[in-house]
Amino acid sequence: MLPTLGHVAIVIGLAACVFAAFAFVAGARRGDAGLLAAGRQAIYAAFGLALIASLAMVVSLLTHDFSVEYVARNNATTTPPFYSIISLWAALEGSILFWTLLALGWAGLVMYRYRDRHPALMPWVGMTVALVGVFLFSVMVWPGNPFTQISPAPAEGNGPNALLQNHPFMGLHPPLLYIGYTGLMLPFAFGIAALITRRTDEAWLAVVRRWTIVPWIFLSCGIVAGAWWSYEVLGWGGYWAWDPVENAALLPWLTATAFIHSSMVAERRGTLKVWSTGLVIATFVLTILGTFLTRSGIVQSVHSFTQSAIGPWFLGAIVIALTASLGLLLWRIPDLRDRDAPPNAVSRESAFLFNNVLFLGLTFVVLFGTLMPLIFQAFGGDRISVGTPYYNGLNVPIFAALLFLMGVGPALPWGRASWRSVRERFALPLILGVAATVLALALGMRQVAPLATLGLAVFVGAVMADEIVRGARARGRTRNEAPPTAAWRLATRNRRRYGGYVAHFGVLIMAIAVAISSTMAQSTTATLAPGQSASLRGYTLTNDRLVVEPLPEDPRVTETRAEMSFAGPQSGTLATALRDYPNSSTAIATPAVRTALGEDLYVTLLASDAKTGSVTVRIFVNPMVVWIWVGGFILALGAAFAIWPDPRRVPVTAPAPSPAASPARLPAEGS
Amino acid sequence: MRRLRWLILPLAVIPLSWVLLTGFSVNPNEVPSALIGKPMPTFTLRTLSGSTLSSADLAGRPVMVNFWASWCGPCVQEHAVLLDAQRRYGDRLAIVGVIYQDSTDAARSFLDHHGDGGYPDLLDEGSRLALDFGVTGPPETYFVDAMGIVRAKQWGPLDTAALESKLAKIGVSG
Amino acid sequence: MSRWLVPVGVAAVLALAGVALVNGLGVAAPTRAEQAQRLAAELRCPDCAGLSVAESTSASAAAIRAEIDAQLAAGSTADQVRRHFVERYGEWILLSPSAPVAWLLPVLAVLAGLLGLTIWLVRRRAPRAAPAASPSAIDLQRVRDEAEALDA
Repeated sequence: MLPTLGHVAIVIGLAACVFAAFAFVAGARRGDAGLLAAGRQAIYAAFGLALIASLAMVVSLLTHDFSVEYVARNNATTTPPFYSIISLWAALEGSILFWTLLALGWAGLVMYRYRDRHPALMPWVGMTVALVGVFLFSVMVWPGNPFTQISPAPAEGNGPNALLQNHPFMGLHPPLLYIGYTGLMLPFAFGIAALITRRTDEAWLAVVRRWTIVPWIFLSCGIVAGAWWSYEVLGWGGYWAWDPVENAALLPWLTATAFIHSSMVAERRGTLKVWSTGLVIATFVLTILGTFLTRSGIVQSVHSFTQSAIGPWFLGAIVIALTASLGLLLWRIPDLRDRDAPPNAVSRESAFLFNNVLFLGLTFVVLFGTLMPLIFQAFGGDRISVGTPYYNGLNVPIFAALLFLMGVGPALPWGRASWRSVRERFALPLILGVAATVLALALGMRQVAPLATLGLAVFVGAVMADEIVRGARARGRTRNEAPPTAAWRLATRNRRRYGGYVAHFGVLIMAIAVAISSTMAQSTTATLAPGQSASLRGYTLTNDRLVVEPLPEDPRVTETRAEMSFAGPQSGTLATALRDYPNSSTAIATPAVRTALGEDLYVTLLASDAKTGSVTVRIFVNPMVVWIWVGGFILALGAAFAIWPDPRRVPVTAPAPSPAASPARLPAEGS
Repeated sequence: MRRLRWLILPLAVIPLSWVLLTGFSVNPNEVPSALIGKPMPTFTLRTLSGSTLSSADLAGRPVMVNFWASWCGPCVQEHAVLLDAQRRYGDRLAIVGVIYQDSTDAARSFLDHHGDGGYPDLLDEGSRLALDFGVTGPPETYFVDAMGIVRAKQWGPLDTAALESKLAKIGVSG
Repeated sequence: MSRWLVPVGVAAVLALAGVALVNGLGVAAPTRAEQAQRLAAELRCPDCAGLSVAESTSASAAAIRAEIDAQLAAGSTADQVRRHFVERYGEWILLSPSAPVAWLLPVLAVLAGLLGLTIWLVRRRAPRAAPAASPSAIDLQRVRDEAEALDA
């Protein structure tokens, strides 16, 4: 009953999206408000139908209805309710259903919010999101039906993917990532609408910025949460392996970040229209490409889904989306060409442009690296691997340059900077940065990457602190406010600038934490008889006892657990385990992570001998890892602060002053 | 001149879709062997039954080297094919099993349970031989001709069709 | 900050940096353990998805680590060790492809982007000698930013 309901909801959802797409196009061409309203209603209805289908799936999972193939393959009677619910997105078909739900949620939200505004743009936005809906529902009607039934229904299911039911983070990281991923359809939709209507003006830019940053925040959190999940679950002591699935999430993040920066120049100068539109198109195409790579089974990855019939559909979607949007962009280029002269070579604008080139450089490296095994294969070359040494070798210098620009860019004036102001701004931070590097060198740090990162981070931090202090002082003097009050008021009245500082501060923390944790971690492997100890960097670990028993919440799973006590900078007891799932040929590690502000103690069980009670463990001491998550959180917080609606400000959709009249351009023109 | 910008479209779309399309035809997990056309690695190892086997003992005969483990699921299905191969070709072909990262007890009980073909199973302490063959994970099978040259590799479990076509490459047929 | 402080500060820090560099980086050729670790980070663990031998906890990664150690102990160079594994596993075992195009293409692309942007920025604006912003221009700018935010 319920599966049939779900399937019917999907079929009607497809019809609703097809109708919406036609209604928007016809409504826009005839100027028929009734048709446009009907299109909006159809989008809301499609969201409702996706919700019904998702709920039908969740209930089927919770009630272990094995007549549904998806449930039989990804659930078992012993699966705890929490993991039953999150199984909605744990495998291919369910994740597409969840994806559809989120995409239409975004679509409905935007269509509702702008129901009375942007009358020229919104029909085409509606058409684009409706077409995305058509694609997603079609995938679920034809190649990836989540409600395919099997009869007779098996008595017991296969159970969820062992790797994915091992940690509650699976309930957090995929939704965040998917919310961000699907949301990046919105800037694309606005971009398409702008190209069709030839309206790439300031109002458009403001809307696109907002609807890029909101999903971008979720995507950022999703990427960081994914790194955290992989750290807590995979048991190799690291958090980022440049796996295709990680790269797939990173690629649209990189281009979206580039857009967020270039849009400020575009807004300020009224230029870069082709560039901005190109970036939002690229971002969306990269989200489909990433989905395709991880779901078609054509690249090797930690959690690629099995090879399936949906691959060609996604490939088709890539070709259609890329051809249509790039074609549209090329067609409109004559209308979009900037008439303004390029900005001055030393100015905030040019720093943002260099930032964009570097972000695109990162995008190129990551995309090329991910596709390289396929490219070599297509040309009949050897099977090759592309991994951490390649990506780090190329990306670390680019990241370092970006870090440098992050300090320099926001501190440069718009328009044109004089040598004198540059010197005044950057001399002291530069000295501090070099001094910090020298100090670290003197204290025994020897690797180039963390030294450079540290020096750059201190430089950037000093520039930012200087900016904030100067701003607060200037305001404090003129308005007679105490410096903290002045700083807060300045920040809440310049949300974008100060939110940017907070986000950059988060990036700084992450950069330092990544540089140090990736180069200064230590690890050792030890086989310990009961009562025996091993030590690493001030820690002593003792094998207390080995326990082999079924897991209380799921008796089909056998847990082999080493209970250990540790002493050193932190002390206490920990348990690190290997879990044998009936549907997994290899045991799944459950590392023990003891986090402190300075370092993590991380212990993975590799092997054990039940007869003697001896255990083989890999012990890591990973410095500063927790600061990566903290930095990621600050990054998201800063971005949220930057776009938080300000009651004092006129809604973003009001026509902004034309850039030529903007007072900030005066210094450039007055010279 | 302005129209040249339209070249971007095919230049972006066609190579990308071609590269992605070719991806469908290949299993990304399957790694072709670098040993094809090269001599088989040499070894002298103890067998499960306690004797010693050296690669020199196999000279002049076609050899099929099968890496397996008791913990490897597909190895169970494959085992029946191997037993059948030993029955059909045992007179012309030397089959050698190599136990991959497994305890001797577990390997023995696997053979007790699924049947022992009577061919030697090597104990590969420290996985030295597996590294020499370039094994990525069991089951994997290497086909060596009578001259001692590796001619083919099966990645994943053997079925009868794969067995026959690969044996043909080392001159064992019918 | 007075005029001479900056150059003197920079010079002092640079001198210190030089001393520290000579003292620090010049010291040690990598030990065998470091060399082994570096090699392990370059080789792919055969039975994992994309992890290096150094990172992986799998048994075959441990076997390769042992083999690297043994070969280095027997006097092999890093290159010989690498070749040893490439002969058996193919290029696939290396985590960074050895084909020059793999490295050249991205490097050239980024350099071309940076160069292109620089040329675009410089070409159409002949450099002007006169300083554009007076020292107070930056503070002026900030006040304007603020004013703009309030007006908007």
